[in-house]
Amino acid sequence: MQRYIEGRSQPFSWFLYILPALLVYLIFLAYPLFSSMLTSFMTGNHAQIQTFVGFDNYVRLFTEEELSTRYFSAFRNTVVFFAIHMLVQNVLGMLFANFLQNKHLKGRKFYQTIIFIPATLAIIVTGYLWKLILNPQWGAFNLILKALGSEHANFPWLGTPGVSLVVISLVSSWQWVGIPTMFFISALGNIPDELYEAAAISGASPWQVFTNIKLPLILPTVGVVSTLTFVNNFNAFDVVFAMENVNGAPDYSTDILGTFFYRTGIAGQHPIGIPDRGMGAAVATVTFVVLIIGVALIRRITVKRDEV
Amino acid sequence: MKTTAKHQSLGSAGRGITYLILTLWSLMVLFPVWTMVINSFKKRLDIYKDPFGLPSIWSFDSYLAVLKGHQFGRYFFNSILITVLSLALILLLGSLASYAIARWNSKLSRWLYAFMIAGMMIPIRIGSIPLLRMINEMGLMNSLFSLLPIYVAMGIPVAVLVLTQFIRDIPIEMTEAALIDGAKPRQIYYKIVLKLIQPAMASVAIYNLVPIWNDLWFPLIFINKESQKTVILGVTTLFGQYQTDWSRILAVLTLASLPILLLYLAMSRQFVEGLTAGAVKG
Amino acid sequence: MKKGFLSLWILLVMITIGTFFSCSKENDEAAAEKKNEVEKVALRMGSWRMDDVAQMEAVLAEFTKTHPGIEILFQPTNPPDYNATLRLQLESGTGPDIMYARSYATGIQLFEDGYLSDLSSLSGLDTTYSEGNQAPWMTKDGKNFAIPFTAVSHGVFYNKDIFKELGLSIPESWSDFLSVCKTIKAAGYIPVANSLGDEWDINEVVFMNLAPNFIGGREGRLAYDEGKTPFNDKKVVALFQAMASLAPYLPEGFEALTYNDSNALFATGQAAMYFDGSWTLGTFSDVDFDWGVFAPPAPDGQKVHYICFHPDAGMAINSSTKYPEEAKIFLEWLGSPEGAQVLAENLPMGMFPMSNIAVEIEDPHAKEFLSLNDGRQLDVRWAWPELLGGDPSGYNLMMEGSIGVITGRITPKQAADNLQEGLAKWYPPAQKW
Repeated sequence: MQRYIEGRSQPFSWFLYILPALLVYLIFLAYPLFSSMLTSFMTGNHAQIQTFVGFDNYVRLFTEEELSTRYFSAFRNTVVFFAIHMLVQNVLGMLFANFLQNKHLKGRKFYQTIIFIPATLAIIVTGYLWKLILNPQWGAFNLILKALGSEHANFPWLGTPGVSLVVISLVSSWQWVGIPTMFFISALGNIPDELYEAAAISGASPWQVFTNIKLPLILPTVGVVSTLTFVNNFNAFDVVFAMENVNGAPDYSTDILGTFFYRTGIAGQHPIGIPDRGMGAAVATVTFVVLIIGVALIRRITVKRDEV
Repeated sequence: MKTTAKHQSLGSAGRGITYLILTLWSLMVLFPVWTMVINSFKKRLDIYKDPFGLPSIWSFDSYLAVLKGHQFGRYFFNSILITVLSLALILLLGSLASYAIARWNSKLSRWLYAFMIAGMMIPIRIGSIPLLRMINEMGLMNSLFSLLPIYVAMGIPVAVLVLTQFIRDIPIEMTEAALIDGAKPRQIYYKIVLKLIQPAMASVAIYNLVPIWNDLWFPLIFINKESQKTVILGVTTLFGQYQTDWSRILAVLTLASLPILLLYLAMSRQFVEGLTAGAVKG
Repeated sequence: MKKGFLSLWILLVMITIGTFFSCSKENDEAAAEKKNEVEKVALRMGSWRMDDVAQMEAVLAEFTKTHPGIEILFQPTNPPDYNATLRLQLESGTGPDIMYARSYATGIQLFEDGYLSDLSSLSGLDTTYSEGNQAPWMTKDGKNFAIPFTAVSHGVFYNKDIFKELGLSIPESWSDFLSVCKTIKAAGYIPVANSLGDEWDINEVVFMNLAPNFIGGREGRLAYDEGKTPFNDKKVVALFQAMASLAPYLPEGFEALTYNDSNALFATGQAAMYFDGSWTLGTFSDVDFDWGVFAPPAPDGQKVHYICFHPDAGMAINSSTKYPEEAKIFLEWLGSPEGAQVLAENLPMGMFPMSNIAVEIEDPHAKEFLSLNDGRQLDVRWAWPELLGGDPSGYNLMMEGSIGVITGRITPKQAADNLQEGLAKWYPPAQKW
């Protein structure tokens, strides 16, 4: 009925309303994605990508010794990065949301405001701050450890392979905790009172309330948060850039897909700095495929059958 | 609507733990920020001698140096300019498109809607290599405006998602009355719809504000000319490897964080609403 | 509705036009000026020396005083990003008009890709600069792609007060050096301030600082680079061994400390020695103790000692600059007596000019650094002339080897073997072994 209410049915006119947004979206979001896939089938010098080489870039990426070692190592590191975000960032987010949902909590607004602050800062800022705090000689963290008499007081957190990746993941999780917190507060707020009352009557413990009422009902939000975390982590770059360098020091242990992509396709390896754009495009395309698969999987698990 | 959750079964121990955890976390959040701010007021070598205490001599040297040299005023101006322009275009294009999609009932419009919001899940960085080429060919390399189409494209999916839903929720009666008076869709758009969807527009603006202002990636790969850099990129410019002045860096970091931080503290409720926009279907 | 649309499109078109205008504004302005009486042009100079802004601006201001129509803007980039950034800019046609050129392979590559002008016919080139000094910025077939600009030296900074307190003298041999470290550590100071957080530091400033002494200077290096000796012979193993022996004398937590932290440790008197280059001379000008520089120690019993004196920056012209004449004038001025004098007065401390023109160096510390060259032979950083390119690059292999032996993850023999095997993947002289 709307069509007839608001003016004559003029699909063309309506289309003109959509057109500017559609054009920008097509040209700068959709097309580059597609073009990237095309570029991945080419190789060539510097700015001129000319020669068609089919799947050669992909084959090299997965089998050529130097490249594939780095690539799989970056992939593995990214998975670890993601796992830590899920376990720390999102679990904490859930925890805080549960706390903050209680209207009787004193200082609720205060805590909510504070929790969100890091998410408003640039990761460059926070990454560099934490680098200072974790400095083995002058950092707050190590000074506190020293005061407590710990023998790890001068431990090089960011200089030890293995440890540094965990540390960077934790800093990144610290940064973004506010976001899942807010999502979950919102979702929890939509659960009807009656369910809680029913649970109280049947004497359910808080844990039972959580697992039987809250979790199932906010599962779609868990899905959304997981998806966002997944997509962001597989493209993360800034935090490693800030806290280590684009090589993923030490010893490539903090090299994630984002930094690998930057080195391969955009900036090239120090010191000469000649990127391979075709290879970079291949890396980007593989990441895209991984993202699609991941998002589909998450949807499968978290979206209720009748809501699909 | 929001519910009142009664968790009296927690007991005082449970409540104690709750406060403990929340307080600990608040310290974990405030402490780095505190460190950043107070050390920006110390002299360079003093920071190494005492990284946590309040400055024995409050030195404004770093702030003065930053604000006078290094073109930081320029960086700020650039960031503000590009952020405001991007947000304006996102809202303009997004609301126009959403209005049409919400009111135009057809297979094509539904398909366009699905097409445009699919972009939410696609990180625009993936297309960086073709984007580099395109920006280059458009002659925008090294220009602040190279960022504009990128940020707008980035913001459109969420804008369309949120605004379409919001417009759909506008009761027909409101626009019906106007139509009966002979108004055209364009007038309805300007006079009624735009006013009614302001809360949603604010959400969309805020949702995009933070990632646009804090973006490092695109300025890093597109811009090298000093006069065109944004604040966040300018911050990395100062991270010169040799002889870095900690106090100055922290002054820079503080200045770079201040705008959004202040905005957030002034409007925290809208921020939260904005940043969770489109995620949870109310 | 059509009108609403029109205004939208006009807005978009205006923004686009505005964009193009803002991009080409500089050129238009310059062109408009050119039509007037005084031709004022503004050139851009690219560089990786973020710290030299004040000094370079002084140099460029002096130039403009005697050449009023030409203004040059100094616009440096972060050092690790310089190469990649420069390349992106050159590819997109937005590169600077004049730029600092890295020596050897990095620079040669840019020239062969057509981004740099051939400077072989610059007037006064051969009289102003010795052949040895020109070499780092020449292609294999003798074309100059940049003129020599500055060289840096490498040594060991030391805290004279601590040395006096502990009754130490400058170590000449490596085992002397290690025993000096031991004494310093026992007294509660940090012997060597260097760290691994900024990976290039241990590579360029420690490994390549020591290398000439251990591999036999220029002749030694050429033997490796030309395939006469494999890269994992016992001299190289001894070099990695020397690196490994530094580990106990580095600061606590050195794996994560950065270059700046190391600077600060020395500058606050907590560390007694610090391997670094002459470019850092200026940082220590306001410390509260007496300090000096000594040459890196050599293997025990070695008669000839070497210093790593490295041609750091050349000056090149962008082949697609709009102001080739003005750029050439500037480069020629650099080699003139007036230019050399301005450089000597304004160049950052520790960056040594490379022209034949004799200039007086004022600063006592800089003089001291340069005096280390007396009685010693000079060579450049090992990886630079031949081993930078290729995958894995010699640079990375040396870096990873240094870090590996210091952290104890690999043995010196393994580090040397990795170097040989890695280079053998692409470097023909190494493939003979």
